[in-house]
Amino acid sequence: MDSLDQSDGRETAAAISAALERLWVRFLPEMRARVEILEAAAVALAGGTLSGAQRESATSAAHKLAGTLGTFSLARGTVLARELEQLYAGGDGPSSETAAQMAKELREMVEGRTTPAAG
Amino acid sequence: MTRKILIIDDEDDIREVAALSLESVAGWEVITAGSGAEGLARAAEQLPDAILLDVMMPGMDGPTTFRELRKNPLTAKIPVLLLTAKVQSTDQRRFADLGVEAVLFKPFDPMTLSTQIETALGWS
Repeated sequence: MDSLDQSDGRETAAAISAALERLWVRFLPEMRARVEILEAAAVALAGGTLSGAQRESATSAAHKLAGTLGTFSLARGTVLARELEQLYAGGDGPSSETAAQMAKELREMVEGRTTPAAG
Repeated sequence: MTRKILIIDDEDDIREVAALSLESVAGWEVITAGSGAEGLARAAEQLPDAILLDVMMPGMDGPTTFRELRKNPLTAKIPVLLLTAKVQSTDQRRFADLGVEAVLFKPFDPMTLSTQIETALGWS
């Protein structure tokens, strides 16, 4: 019975893992869009043109990435995104260098995540 | 035991992963709503065993949705678990003060989400 349970557990884990990979592929455009918002905010910060609305969008994009990336095995991405969210939500906001570096790292994580071969 | 869970979250990816998790791992029936307003309607129609409610949503946010659920006699007794990516202690205290059954955190592990819910609600 135990071995049957273990077998069922392994099958469930494999099925979940496969389904998660499909969901990652499906939601990759949304992940990329969130990173793009952070990249644009970093550029605006560097140019001194970051608006309140843009800062709010960056806070929201970072918040969403923080809540999602870890579920897709990108725990470090959640940590980075959460830190960036707190910086944008805080009084001074991030420095342009920090914002750019963190957005760059998030981009690399999202683009570098292994996805299964098509088909 | 088969349970019926309502997930209210404006983010499609979170809704889908949570639904996948609860259906596949626990075998529960899952219904979803993409906004607080839709969630209120679905809760009253479907009378789920529990509600997993996102905190930050455009329009009606999670705390407001929770208060509206409690005002309706049909949904007032349904256990509500907040699901949030906010981890700061001030946020956690604020959420706990609302009177929800539990606060769960994003990101969640799809393999253990149902266990977290069972533990929080004393279903296990």
